[in-house]
Amino acid sequence: MKNMLKKFWLIVSKPSVHLSFGFLTIGGFVAGIIFWGGFNTALEATNTEEFCIGCHEMADNVYVELQDTVHWKNNSGVRATCPDCHVPHNWTDKIARKMQASKEVYGKIFGTISTREKFLEKRGELAQHEWDRFTANNSLECKNCHDYNSMDFDSMSERAQVQMKMAAERDQSCIDCHKGIAHHLPDNMNSGEGTLAKLEEMATSGYKKGESYFSVRQLPLFTNSELNEEAGQLNAATEVKILEVKGDAIKVEIDAWRKTKGFGRVLFEDFAMNINDGYLTKEVAQAEGSMTKGETKEDDLTGLPWQKVSVELWMRNGSLTDSRDTLWTFAKTTYDSACSVCHTQPAENHFDTNTWPGMFNGMLSFVNLDGDTQALVLKYLQKHSSDFSDAGH
Amino acid sequence: MAITRRGFLKGILATSASTLIGPSLLAVANDAAAAETAGTWKVSGSHWGAFRARVYGGKVQEIKAFEADKYPTDMLNGIKGIIYSPSRIRYPMVRYDWYLKRNKSDTTQRGDNRFIRVTWDEALDLFYQELERVQKDYGPWALHAGQTGWRQTGQVHSCGNHMQRAVSMHGFSVNKVGDYSTGAGQTIMPYVLGTTEVYAQGTSWPLILDNSKTIILWATDLVKNLQVGWACETHESFEYLEQLKDKVASKQIRVISVDPVRTKTQKYLDCEQQYVNPQADVPFMLAIAHTLYNEELYDKKFLSTYALGFEEFIPYVTGESKDKVEKTPEWAEAICGVPAEDIREFARLLASDRTQLIFGWCIQRQQHGEQPYWMGAVIAAMLGQIGLPGGGVSYAHHYSSIGVPSTGAASPGAFPRNPDKPNERVHMNQDFKGYSSTIPVARWIDAILEPGKVINANGAKITLPDIKMMVFSGCNPWHHHQDRNRMKKAFHKLETVVSIDFTWTASCRFSDIVLPACTQWERNDIDLYGSYSNRGIIAMHKLVDPLYQSKTDFEIFTLLTQRFGKSKEYTQGKSEMDWVKQLYDECAAANKGKFDMPDFMTFWKEGWVDFGKGPNWTRQAAFREDPEINALGTPSGFIEIFSRKIDRYGYDDCQGHPMWFEKAERSHGGPGSEEFPIWLQSCHPDKRLHSQMCDSEEFRATYAVQGREPLYINPEDAKKRGINDGDLVRVFNKRGQLLAGAVVSEDYAKGVARLQEGAWYGPVDESIGALDTYGDPNTLTMDIGSSQLAQATSANTCLVQYEKFEGKAPAVSSFGGPKEMA
Repeated sequence: MKNMLKKFWLIVSKPSVHLSFGFLTIGGFVAGIIFWGGFNTALEATNTEEFCIGCHEMADNVYVELQDTVHWKNNSGVRATCPDCHVPHNWTDKIARKMQASKEVYGKIFGTISTREKFLEKRGELAQHEWDRFTANNSLECKNCHDYNSMDFDSMSERAQVQMKMAAERDQSCIDCHKGIAHHLPDNMNSGEGTLAKLEEMATSGYKKGESYFSVRQLPLFTNSELNEEAGQLNAATEVKILEVKGDAIKVEIDAWRKTKGFGRVLFEDFAMNINDGYLTKEVAQAEGSMTKGETKEDDLTGLPWQKVSVELWMRNGSLTDSRDTLWTFAKTTYDSACSVCHTQPAENHFDTNTWPGMFNGMLSFVNLDGDTQALVLKYLQKHSSDFSDAGH
Repeated sequence: MAITRRGFLKGILATSASTLIGPSLLAVANDAAAAETAGTWKVSGSHWGAFRARVYGGKVQEIKAFEADKYPTDMLNGIKGIIYSPSRIRYPMVRYDWYLKRNKSDTTQRGDNRFIRVTWDEALDLFYQELERVQKDYGPWALHAGQTGWRQTGQVHSCGNHMQRAVSMHGFSVNKVGDYSTGAGQTIMPYVLGTTEVYAQGTSWPLILDNSKTIILWATDLVKNLQVGWACETHESFEYLEQLKDKVASKQIRVISVDPVRTKTQKYLDCEQQYVNPQADVPFMLAIAHTLYNEELYDKKFLSTYALGFEEFIPYVTGESKDKVEKTPEWAEAICGVPAEDIREFARLLASDRTQLIFGWCIQRQQHGEQPYWMGAVIAAMLGQIGLPGGGVSYAHHYSSIGVPSTGAASPGAFPRNPDKPNERVHMNQDFKGYSSTIPVARWIDAILEPGKVINANGAKITLPDIKMMVFSGCNPWHHHQDRNRMKKAFHKLETVVSIDFTWTASCRFSDIVLPACTQWERNDIDLYGSYSNRGIIAMHKLVDPLYQSKTDFEIFTLLTQRFGKSKEYTQGKSEMDWVKQLYDECAAANKGKFDMPDFMTFWKEGWVDFGKGPNWTRQAAFREDPEINALGTPSGFIEIFSRKIDRYGYDDCQGHPMWFEKAERSHGGPGSEEFPIWLQSCHPDKRLHSQMCDSEEFRATYAVQGREPLYINPEDAKKRGINDGDLVRVFNKRGQLLAGAVVSEDYAKGVARLQEGAWYGPVDESIGALDTYGDPNTLTMDIGSSQLAQATSANTCLVQYEKFEGKAPAVSSFGGPKEMA
């Protein structure tokens, strides 16, 4: 082997005696074009959906799952193929991704995910690689089609508007929220790390009609049992009464108070107490007959009129628990550790219910709490404030 | 960049030439510099920023700014002097008379600085025995271990956490609410704008630079105060200040500094100044509101959509309610010293285009300090630009790089402050005997002097507890509290005082048991890089071993908790490095999928993780966009120009809407100004972090005058008193007296003087009224609450007189530690 290399080197390093300088340079150039063309054609061939689903691992798993999603079939007839999302469009990144893909060839040869079971077991890890890549490039492949600047926020549902505007403002990576948009999520997602999973673990099941339960986190509300007409959002640790169970959907009753200044969209747990129960879309809040309206009283401390309301809406069956105790324990632990990083955390009953939001919001810059946990901790503090316990000072 | 063939060839030549001659030249340099470059470079952080330190021969030899810090502060030059200060506490020490008689000691001797050296074992036994005695003989109401301040940086060794965790495992004690920096602001603003504001992220500088036409710097000195940060400071704000300077020069943005002093920022930006008499901002502001209202320059639509209570407030301005005085510019002129026509022009300017109001903290550190902040929000609401980029009001752009966009990355947590088993303390007694268990932070001296007295505070009744024992860690109350001579009286009543510190502050001098902690550079730790920008995570490598007999806080309190069988709960069985790694790993887990962090060992070797720059953000934009869903945290959810809640507390010194209240002392014709005509401003220092670094000898010498703290005074005032620049002066009032060194400067208006807070107190002896030899302004300040609402410090309500000091000056007694008794 060593000798052969030596021989080869001797040949190529020797100046040419027979061929002209022109032939060597121009010829080399032409050969380069031909090679390049060939390489690119081959490369492009690996960039087609046919190539991607050429192996059964792709064809039987992720490809089938894609076919149930909006990226496969939708009313405008624009379709996303595998490489649209999974191969970078710019050349350097594309080559880098292709180099990485050699690992997949290895996997194919050794049958790492040759069966559905093996695939499902490995899905979490595989998905994480893609999520990491999307995170690193700020979801560039999504944004090649979905551009924040071209979004018409006004045509979105109200809940989407709130979220999308916030995301656009920070040029947020799409994958932060839209994991599982084209393929199924890994099975063990909910038992994994993260607060959301911890909150979901507190949920009970088998809700009985007529009984009351509490939401473990913020949850979407709908006007219909098909759960496709948005009505608003239920806040964490909010009491709901089950009216009807219909497969994946449950109809719930929320008894609350609201301020009648503005559109009356925000629901509060009790009169004159800014304990958030959730919010309704403008349409639902304003529609005649969408809720039973009770007494109206003026809150003396702000001069704002409050109205008792009872709303009946649909939500997904799940994420409810029969007692707030476990939620409060989690909230207290979180509060005690997160809010004592810089100073001793004030006792829960040091402030009253309506003072807590201001104190809590003012300190949020220093803690790492996600939206669900923030909402839960704030409600915990309000429900244990000096209005509910008098040993504050 | 276009590449020409000629340029390309030249480049090749240059490269090869340097390759050829490079090594030989370097070899020569190496020989010459060997002695000055030997050793190991390590990375660490501080409130003053990150740095690399060269350690050789067991000593820190050299400090240079961290490469990512483009605007390092010259205070880095003071760091070596902190480590090797003659004021370092070398051994556990006990006050002489207390050692003899324990809690029955002659407390009038406190402050005589006579101490006796003891072993660690003996010192910790005494500390533990005192905790036991106080819990048994009295109860939790007699122990106050809650005073906190600016610890050294590092999240594992955050010393307040260590002390409070250990003391809490033993039993309950009196706690505090609020702090000395923002007491009035953080109490009033939740009623008005729905958060503390003082500690909230502000509109990003790039948006201010792009959108503001006028920026009002209201009593804020950005260039001075942005040198330090709560966590490791990055100084990223200075990049934007540099851009602002350019925009001021090219007249794209008009910046006006509203201040009785020409600030460092004003001089840096070369911007305009609007002089206002000290403590008279509120009349100036009321007259602005009067002009905006009368000339219909205010945004009615904004007020009706986003605010409540304008109708109840405006009759006060027009003179139809309360004092029945119309708040005309002519009325204000007499108090604030600004010509009426200038006030009108100022108001018109604010309303003419996009205006960003930026307040500092000084004007809320005065009597009725709630009012200027509330009134600032009212003016901003009338202008109707709250929630717009480059508009509205900020209360914190001078603090910890607020205004630098946040990356949103998770930051490291801290060593836990709370016990793991809060229901299994050694003493479970929670009977406070009718005393309040939480007091406003600045009212503890009141409590010691008048236990049982009931005061109002933020809507509650507080019964001041009968404090017998104090424990201090990570704070220096003999710098941050007001009125030293009153403090001395209070300390005569205390039985036992324990201080844990690395340097012999005045608080140590007035303590009974003093335990030597090591500095933050004598232990391993990690910290957030950029308090609000969340720029990254910085490693804090131990530079040298703990000096003398000092120990880490972690070790000190492990040893203390051993004495009551709690050390296992205290450490959770983990070592110092276990904790460092755990905080890093938890942070990495929280950032997973958003900000990739290398494994711990890689990070520790590299020294930091960079999260990059964050996206721009506008304060209150969400509220402006949808005030219903994104309601403010006020009782109504709207901006409260009138607060029924405050109104119903019935306080005479903080009512339903912002008002002008005359001060107990005010210069320029106000109460007390005939006898003591000079207003003493005690703002945050330019060359220290509060009292930290005052013990750094060489660095202190760069600004001290005849070895004393500089007193900045007006040339005309100085001349009248026969004082020249560099003279020693005696500053005094009825509360106390001190020596300082005169710096005569046109930057200070007539009747205005500045002594920066944090100057170390050094009385000639322990007696009440003793002359302070170095120049601590709190020898002279007044110890009253801002109002019954916040009960915050009123340090900037202070009048003094000064004179040239004649005769032999007593030596400075603040530094160098205790007098050791045999």
